[in-house]
Amino acid sequence: MKKHLRLLPFILPGLVLYAVLFMYPTISALYYSFTNWDGLSPSYQYVGLQNYVKVSEDIIFRKSLGNNVKFMLTVVLIQTVVSLLLALQIYKKSKLNVFLRALYFLPTILSSVSVGFIWTFIYDSNLGALNKLLQIIGLESLAQNWLGNPGIAIFSIAAVQAWAHIGQMAVLFVAGLQSIPAEIKEAAILDGASQTGLFFRITWPLLAPAAAIVVSYTTIQSFKAFDLVFTMTGGGPNYATEILSTYIYSSAFLNYAFGKAATASVYFLLLIAVITFLQFKLLRTDRVSY
Amino acid sequence: MRKWSWMTILVAVMLLVSACGSNSSGSQHNKQQSNGGNSGSEAEKQDVTLSFIHWRGEDVEVLDGIIAKFEQEYPYIHVETQVFPSDQYQSTAQAKIADGSVGDVFTVFPGAQFQAIARAGLFTDLTGESFVEHFEPNLIAAGQQDGKQFALPYQLVYNIPIYNVALFEQHQVEVPLDWDSFLAALEVFKQAGLTPIAFPGADIGPGQLMNSMVMNNAPDEDIFVKLEAGEAKLTDEWWVKTLAQFKELNDKGYLQKDAVGAKQDSSIALFVQEQAAILGTGSFHLASNKASNPNLKQGLLAPITVSADEAVYEGIHTTTFMLAVNSKSKHTEEAKLFIEFLSRSDIAAEYANGTGQNVTVKDVEYTSEELQIVSEWTTKHTRFQPRFTISNGEVQKAVTNSIQAVLSGVSAEQAAAEAQAIVEQQIGQ
Repeated sequence: MKKHLRLLPFILPGLVLYAVLFMYPTISALYYSFTNWDGLSPSYQYVGLQNYVKVSEDIIFRKSLGNNVKFMLTVVLIQTVVSLLLALQIYKKSKLNVFLRALYFLPTILSSVSVGFIWTFIYDSNLGALNKLLQIIGLESLAQNWLGNPGIAIFSIAAVQAWAHIGQMAVLFVAGLQSIPAEIKEAAILDGASQTGLFFRITWPLLAPAAAIVVSYTTIQSFKAFDLVFTMTGGGPNYATEILSTYIYSSAFLNYAFGKAATASVYFLLLIAVITFLQFKLLRTDRVSY
Repeated sequence: MRKWSWMTILVAVMLLVSACGSNSSGSQHNKQQSNGGNSGSEAEKQDVTLSFIHWRGEDVEVLDGIIAKFEQEYPYIHVETQVFPSDQYQSTAQAKIADGSVGDVFTVFPGAQFQAIARAGLFTDLTGESFVEHFEPNLIAAGQQDGKQFALPYQLVYNIPIYNVALFEQHQVEVPLDWDSFLAALEVFKQAGLTPIAFPGADIGPGQLMNSMVMNNAPDEDIFVKLEAGEAKLTDEWWVKTLAQFKELNDKGYLQKDAVGAKQDSSIALFVQEQAAILGTGSFHLASNKASNPNLKQGLLAPITVSADEAVYEGIHTTTFMLAVNSKSKHTEEAKLFIEFLSRSDIAAEYANGTGQNVTVKDVEYTSEELQIVSEWTTKHTRFQPRFTISNGEVQKAVTNSIQAVLSGVSAEQAAAEAQAIVEQQIGQ
């Protein structure tokens, strides 16, 4: 016990920060989700589970959830596959690879609000660079109303989200690839493994912890991708890019329904917890051993 | 290990208790503050710092000059200004003024934000204050509730499309007075290779143009109040017709290509470069358009969606930038002195001519061409912006989103039905 007490000063700052910045707001949100607080009035009433029923039936909440799933799947797929392919090209140590890693990482250090504004201009259907580029290379038929067409707007934003974070994920994969012992690969090659066999039987299974981090981080990140949506479309056109975080924001700050927003946050928290848990189970990170 | 688990649970329970308890103690504190709210007169002549919060970053220079004059007249009062971007202001102002530490004088948007702050009891009642008489009585209704004057609108805006007078003259197009002549005028510009209407469909366009499009389709000024009360529906003829007319404008190529994805910057660019005959926003862009293209000759033109003899209204006005005194402020008397100062006709004129915004104050002399264009409209029969009569933010969004839906190809009937379903959920039907 004495030993534990001596260690307390080391963990206390972290624990206090975690409690104040994470646990307190989380518990507060849970508490307010059972009320009809408007965020301003000093008084409010307890409404039991009413908010939970209302939010689950809410047309906009359902649309947001559907959009969020589309957004997440697109981002997870593009981001994981492309960053893995890039990592396989640049994980070996050479000056060029170090430069390329830095280059791919560059979009990650830009503020996502700036990224949103930059891409809004690129996507502009009349003046934007993307449609102009397609026109120049003779692919005018592929020019789109990227952010104005409700059918593709969410995917246009997902592509930007992936673009901004592919470099970051590639670095995680590079770290994973570099930690795979070279002798295991050598042994497999000596045993006559093909490049495909080597990847699927040796590299990928041993890359599972890195892949789990990439996939779960990307999932969580894409679920809470508020800033890009907010700056690029504001949830429009006609709710086509409304996602859970923008739904929570507009419920709380534009519609003054904090109780409802808190309820949506609780659903959001549960959803992310379940998805992350399932991902870790499916990717079997606990089974990796050398 | 077990002891550690118990400690974790204990910390969690303490947090739960404090989370639950925080609001009641907060409200107690608020009550005490509001009881002592009128201590300003006792502290007369003592140095007072007034906090003034608003969203007009572009007016700061002019307001700073006005504040300097105010501080000269009242040397014991010092005004500290904080400015937030307008969208941020909509979402965060309430939280900032709630404890009275900032925003002794604050500004408020009409509609949903005004209603929310009124519900929270954060307005000081200004009814009967002498300076209320400095304002045009018919232009301050947006700051009233239950017969009380809670806020005083300062700016007067006309939410009517802007047209390029030179292009109209060049193509010999008269200002249309009914729907058929409006469409005919747009056809002339289309045939001339111009964009008839530059419409920022991705952001402010639907919320602006809907007002003049609906004003004669539903002449009842309480139509959106009735919508929120469940007495009118978006599937009724007035809104379906409005949506169908929006669709007609889009389908006939009278809005720029892909208008639903266009933001205001690109639409304004089309207009100031004289590639578009009409800009579907409002008078608040007159001054900035002129600054971008000094040769631009502009006027205001509201689409009349009915025949000339059926038209009831000529346009839309909004009174906004509503000045209010925080009920939680410790300096309400000084705050009122500041509003009184702003409402003097010479000060209001300085604000108006300096910022290019018309004001609601009486006897103000406008010097700039743009302000004169707007002041001509004060004699016309306009109605208060219908969108701001919607008190629920989600209902407002459902209404404007139904316009985006028709511009994306959905039929007017379907878009109206989908929006009505959201409205019914919001109003609890």
